[in-house]
Amino acid sequence: MRIGLEIHLQLPTASKLFCSCSTSGNGRNTSICPTCLGFPGSRPRLNRRALEIGIQISKFLECKIADTTWFSRKTYFYPDLPKNFQITQYDSPLGVDGRFHVGDKIIRIMRVHLEEDPGRIKRVGKSGEEVSLIDYNRSGVPLVEIVTAPDIASPTEARDFMTDILIELRHLVGLSGKDEQTVRVDANISVGEERVEIKNILGLKNLERGLSFEASRQAKLIKAGKRIIRETRHFDEERKVTISARGKETEEDYGYIAEPDLGIFNVGEMARTMVPVETPLKMAARLASKYAIDRATSRQIVMTSRTLADLFERLCGTIPPEVAAAWILGPLSSNRDLLENRKGDTLACDIERVLQAVVSGEMTDSEARLKINALGKGESVDIAAEGTEDGQLRELVVACIDENPEILSDFKTNRRVANFVIGQIIRTTKGKYASSEIVEAVNKEIERRLRKEQS
Amino acid sequence: MDAAFFERLKTLNKRYVLFSELVDKGPDDHSYGFHFSAKDNLCTSNFQTRAGSRILEGYRPPFDATPVRRMREAGGFLLGKTNMDEFGFGTFSTNSAYGVPRNPFDTERSCGGSSGGAAAAACLLDGHVALGVSTGGSISCPASFCGVVGLTPTYGRVSRYGLVDYGNSLDKVGLLSRSSNALSKYFPIIAGPDPMDPTSCPQPQLNLGPVEIRSIAVPQEAMENIHPDVRTAFDRAIDTLRDSLSVSVEEVSIPSMKYALPAYYVLATSEASTNLARYCGMRFGAKGGDIALHFNDYFSRVRSANFGKEAKRRILLGTYSRMVGFRNRYYLKALAVRQTVIEDYGRVLKKHGMVATPTMPFVSPRFTDIERMKLIDMYRADFLTIPPNLAGLPHISVPCGYADSMPIGMQLVARHWDEAVLLSAAGSWESSFKYRFPEAIR
Amino acid sequence: MTMEPEVVKKVAGIARLQLTETEITEFAKDLEEVLDYFSMLDEASGVEEYDFNPVKIQDVLREDSVGQDIDSELLTKRMDTYEEWVRGPKLV
Repeated sequence: MRIGLEIHLQLPTASKLFCSCSTSGNGRNTSICPTCLGFPGSRPRLNRRALEIGIQISKFLECKIADTTWFSRKTYFYPDLPKNFQITQYDSPLGVDGRFHVGDKIIRIMRVHLEEDPGRIKRVGKSGEEVSLIDYNRSGVPLVEIVTAPDIASPTEARDFMTDILIELRHLVGLSGKDEQTVRVDANISVGEERVEIKNILGLKNLERGLSFEASRQAKLIKAGKRIIRETRHFDEERKVTISARGKETEEDYGYIAEPDLGIFNVGEMARTMVPVETPLKMAARLASKYAIDRATSRQIVMTSRTLADLFERLCGTIPPEVAAAWILGPLSSNRDLLENRKGDTLACDIERVLQAVVSGEMTDSEARLKINALGKGESVDIAAEGTEDGQLRELVVACIDENPEILSDFKTNRRVANFVIGQIIRTTKGKYASSEIVEAVNKEIERRLRKEQS
Repeated sequence: MDAAFFERLKTLNKRYVLFSELVDKGPDDHSYGFHFSAKDNLCTSNFQTRAGSRILEGYRPPFDATPVRRMREAGGFLLGKTNMDEFGFGTFSTNSAYGVPRNPFDTERSCGGSSGGAAAAACLLDGHVALGVSTGGSISCPASFCGVVGLTPTYGRVSRYGLVDYGNSLDKVGLLSRSSNALSKYFPIIAGPDPMDPTSCPQPQLNLGPVEIRSIAVPQEAMENIHPDVRTAFDRAIDTLRDSLSVSVEEVSIPSMKYALPAYYVLATSEASTNLARYCGMRFGAKGGDIALHFNDYFSRVRSANFGKEAKRRILLGTYSRMVGFRNRYYLKALAVRQTVIEDYGRVLKKHGMVATPTMPFVSPRFTDIERMKLIDMYRADFLTIPPNLAGLPHISVPCGYADSMPIGMQLVARHWDEAVLLSAAGSWESSFKYRFPEAIR
Repeated sequence: MTMEPEVVKKVAGIARLQLTETEITEFAKDLEEVLDYFSMLDEASGVEEYDFNPVKIQDVLREDSVGQDIDSELLTKRMDTYEEWVRGPKLV
């Protein structure tokens, strides 16, 4: 089975591709201007950010990027297309001949190009008498189209490909979080010789369903010795079947010509000066091979949080990667929100020291867990000390013992000397802590110091 | 600009059909410094903008074209919209849905096109400056036929924001008036970059002033198929340039000139056929009746009922030229030929300050003769104006003689961005050649 | 070359023009005449590197900032609308 995809994604820009109308208009036909309505005399003006994002995506997909690029007019008539031509890229896409890894498999990328979205259109009225209603707010919204070679072997693989590429692009250029539902895909699929195109599938779930249906439809036909007709079909979301699109009354010949209002763009130079970004799955792959952990683990780490992934790399510098991975996915992962909010070298440094202590046997796992929880909550923790619920109390204990160091040696023979410290703290904190809490804190601190003395 | 002026203007317009829409009355205050007109393909918020086409009937743009806005801001009072061939498709202004403008020298003859109304207004209104537009010669040709000076700037020099497109890689907004003086005064107002038109942004600064011209080139290819009267007037003009203005003249060859015409028609119609796709009775201009029709039928009906014959012809030609199977042979080849034409001119203009030719191969024809002309001969009539237009080179047409009391034009072409050379040369020319005009209204 | 009426019809269909039989015959003749003339291009030498504009227009970009000068209601005023939607003809 061979499947190829044409993916259309909206680029995260504030304004449209060729005019300064907002990409997020409130109310129908409000975010419009002469340009995106195709009024006579209006002109397109290219959005710099959209071009940059397009180049970034092409570069990320390891495409060849030509020195210059330009736009073309694709002429066809439809009520949602204000100029009755779409400004797109035809003979000079931003990127060609790229690739994308899904697990061990390489899916070739044929081309990446920018284009404007038509308006949103819907049909209303009785069957046979429907008119169209159009909202031009979407007209001119920037899209990137990514076209793959027919290298995808199954509907599941198509979905995996889509999931992964969205993860990467989301991080790379900040796509919208809803893209799994809103991405529009045209898919071509051939089980035997002949190819069928399924047009305009919305979202990942529908993509997999549509392809699965079409795959089994084609397989059945082949089994029955019937021919598969090369055609365009639509996926009916409700009935979950693909339906042959009726032959168009008028044949379209897009008659591409260059768009003369925009000029050309030296994208080669722009691409060269752009700093590459390591996307999540690329990072996962690198972590897996560099630290010899399995792929699922590295992916899980990266997908949980980028901060955790960075922390993982740091920990790998001083402790064994498998230990780091276990802690990252365990206690550190449950504290990740707090860690996210308190990014900073000191925190990472503290965690690193706690885990070093565990590896060297200075600290038990449960102690370390307590300390990490405390660190996560933003408490300052004496790394070498045992964990405590309250940093302030522990500080008082530490200070009191520091002032009376003889207690430590006396404690070895007479544990009751601890009562001196306990009494002092009860007096100074005036009932702020339960006495059992204070007793525990004092005992723990003394024991910790003694243990340290021994080692 | 008193009330009587506007009455005279109305009467004049009845006779010459210069304007497709004319202002009702003059301004209430006297703050205006001058009056001007805009070709009907330039968007204006207080007049319809129909570009000579029925398909734009009733279209009142929500904005002013940049050149119109700049003229207004400089104190200009807009008298109205000048008549033109539908979308600029023509050489004689006979393809307008709003009447045919009449030549100021002889009402039985054409004003030339497609800025015919603009040239006639420039000729008949004292102190008037007309905004014209040229794609393949639509300023030079009517300037020549109406005996006025017409400046077509370098491609990109004047913003096209608000210009109803014919061929976006060819269209240029320029000026027509009775003398180069007026053009020198108003050209800096409309020239200059405009963020609303990217193609106007990369231009160098415009600096007008006297420029000394030492030599001009006359391409031998331009001397074929010229009417003897035109040839005589042009030769005499060249003699004047040589003798009175001490310019050296050299005959040169620009072999690619003859390919400019087909290349131009391919590019212009290819672009035009996409530009005109938007006119389908949905968002502006003429509406198409029954919305319950299938969109293909709805669009086709509006378009068929409202486009004129020449518009349909050029849509067909342009659509054909860019179709699968023909695109390489016509569209892409025409792009390559344009580059060759630019390079050929570049070589000649490296050595010479300007290239001079007659503007049109004949004086303005009578309407009865135009009716008998073959299509290809009409297209060929532009063989001298098309090459510099295709190459985006600035050019100016100045009156250089008269035959049977009809004016004859000479076209001077300069390097990209060298409008200063043209205006300076036209100024010198005017010191040694006296223009004739019919009586003007003031 | 000869221009078949069928070809004219096809081109007219792509351009959404409905032509009468008379128009088709006439335009077929016109196109024939003009395309014969265009065939001159076959012998012309064209350079390899060409541009889409007669002067260099490169890297003219707009910053990604939002702005709208003209009230959207003014733009849709003359359009046929229904509950803020713009009405269009039938799709199927």
